[in-house]
Amino acid sequence: MFLEIKKLSIKIENKNILRNLNLNINEGEVHAIMGPNGSGKSTLANVLAGKEDYEILEGEVTFKNKNLFELNIEERAQEGMFLAFQYPVEIPGVNITPFLHSAINSKRNRFNQKEIDNLSFAKLLKSKASDLGIDIEMLKRSVNTGFSGGEKKRYEILQMSILNPDLAILDETDSGLDIDALKIVTEGVNKLKTKSNSFLIITHYQKLLDYIKPDFVHVMNNGSIVKSGGSEIASEIEKDGFQQFQ
Amino acid sequence: MNIQEIYQKNKKNIFFSENKDIQIHREKLINVFITDRFDKKSNESLKNINLKNFFDFKYKYLLPEETSVINNNQDSSYSIVSVNGQCASFKDDKIEITKISDKDYNDFSKNNTIEKNDHFVNLNSLFLNSGFKIIIKKNNNIKIKISNIVTDDDLTIFQKNNFICEEGSSLSLIEEYENKNNSTSNILNVIKLEKKSSLNHFLIQDNSSNHNLVITSHSSCKKESFYNQRVYNFSDGYVRNFHFSELLEINSEADLQGIFFLKDNNTSNNKTFVKHFAEDCKSNQVYKGILKDRAKATYFSNTHVDQVAQKTEGYQLSKGILLSDNASYFSKPELKIYADDVKCSHGSTIGPIDENAIFYLRSRGMSKNAATKILISSFINEELSSIDDEQMSELIQKKLIRYLSKVK
Repeated sequence: MFLEIKKLSIKIENKNILRNLNLNINEGEVHAIMGPNGSGKSTLANVLAGKEDYEILEGEVTFKNKNLFELNIEERAQEGMFLAFQYPVEIPGVNITPFLHSAINSKRNRFNQKEIDNLSFAKLLKSKASDLGIDIEMLKRSVNTGFSGGEKKRYEILQMSILNPDLAILDETDSGLDIDALKIVTEGVNKLKTKSNSFLIITHYQKLLDYIKPDFVHVMNNGSIVKSGGSEIASEIEKDGFQQFQ
Repeated sequence: MNIQEIYQKNKKNIFFSENKDIQIHREKLINVFITDRFDKKSNESLKNINLKNFFDFKYKYLLPEETSVINNNQDSSYSIVSVNGQCASFKDDKIEITKISDKDYNDFSKNNTIEKNDHFVNLNSLFLNSGFKIIIKKNNNIKIKISNIVTDDDLTIFQKNNFICEEGSSLSLIEEYENKNNSTSNILNVIKLEKKSSLNHFLIQDNSSNHNLVITSHSSCKKESFYNQRVYNFSDGYVRNFHFSELLEINSEADLQGIFFLKDNNTSNNKTFVKHFAEDCKSNQVYKGILKDRAKATYFSNTHVDQVAQKTEGYQLSKGILLSDNASYFSKPELKIYADDVKCSHGSTIGPIDENAIFYLRSRGMSKNAATKILISSFINEELSSIDDEQMSELIQKKLIRYLSKVK
């Protein structure tokens, strides 16, 4: 099993957010989690990525046969986990290019691989940016600073394509995107799909799933997965909303 | 021993103690020390300092054996080594360097804009034992680097310097303070910018923990002149940076900026004050601080806009990162505006490093330590990237790396 979440319960500031949550993801699978606001979807994404302000009440998570909770935030990233943020953080003064270069090399260092030199990285970045319709000028700017909502999401996908993760968690990547940007972003995701990497896509709407076909769709409510199935669930939600699962 | 006794005992070694006018001025200053209550709450010059260390001191001064001025005519640059506050006299067709004179002292003591309750400035006037005057002659464009060296332990340097930029001249001035001995330097720089002149003034401070540095500067700008000051404080010892600027004539400008990097139990007090006395003048006051361990800092900024100073633009900003729960940074911006057509603003943000940004960077594979360092560097990136002088930029980067190496 690639990612295995067993009976996971989480609380933050005395409020239980995830309750007895179970989820299994195999290599090469695309899973979607849908749910109403406040159901715990983003908490799940943040807990998996390693955000430290949550208290784990019980349960276990293994990622590539390693206990996820024994890995810190950067170790999870270096092991191949990637979170595309719902609200990417603006970091003025940190230039995109050296930041991404340093990120990719931190992963390579973990596995004693040779670092990518400046020239090779510049070529890689330019080519990936071009695939996502990102202007080269944007790569001279600070991380997410002064970006529009759509630019931030596109930039998250650029990072994903550079870091080439084994498991990518997309937290409401479709929010704030117009239809053209949505197409570009989802094309970028689809290009990355292989038999050996997996995706966990968090969304409110079916629209995103029209472009990225999921193998499994899960409905989350009140901190638990209440229904799992194929893409027909997304159509049910689109038709009748989330009320039916509450 | 009180201030009066220290003065009486050492006056033979103090500049101008035979000058009648100066004697009268000093008697008044002594009286201020006798009558003042040294109330830390009401006197900004006394915040966060151990009064005993500075006002009950043992006076000691040694005349240096050697000082030097080296000039390189090819690129109009000069290297000055100021030892115990003294500088060799020098003259060519571009600059003139002389010892500070009693006339310079009197000019300063009669300046009404200087705060009378600043005890460090008063100490400087009372115990003056060194200093020099540099005149940049009309329409010359030159660069000066001054290395300020203190030779021995337990010295008390009280130094006044005058910098005069004549009409149309342009000066790039780099002052380095890197002293490792157990001494105190109390320095007052008086800067005059004549019409259409400019001064880019960089102060790099990197003293050891037993060296106290007190710097005060007063700059006055005539028509279309520009005073630009950048302070980089990496010192482990106490540093005070108090800088005042007066915009006296139309289209003049003052830009006072500083960054301090504090650690351990160190303290730094900072103040900038710009007075607008003419139309169409601009000022900018920006200080940023990074504090770890139990370090403490204060920053007072003040913009005064006279009623005749219409079309003034005056900005103030203070920012701080606290890397420890025990570090503290007190910031107080003030604006006093008596004109009605002005653009002025102030802002202050101090807090711990942004945890969301740390999480974001770590989620891409960076270690916590690397993420913290990159965020500290980014906090001051704008100030560092604006340094034009390549040699100085490298020097500051080197000192920054040394500071960051101690950040966990």
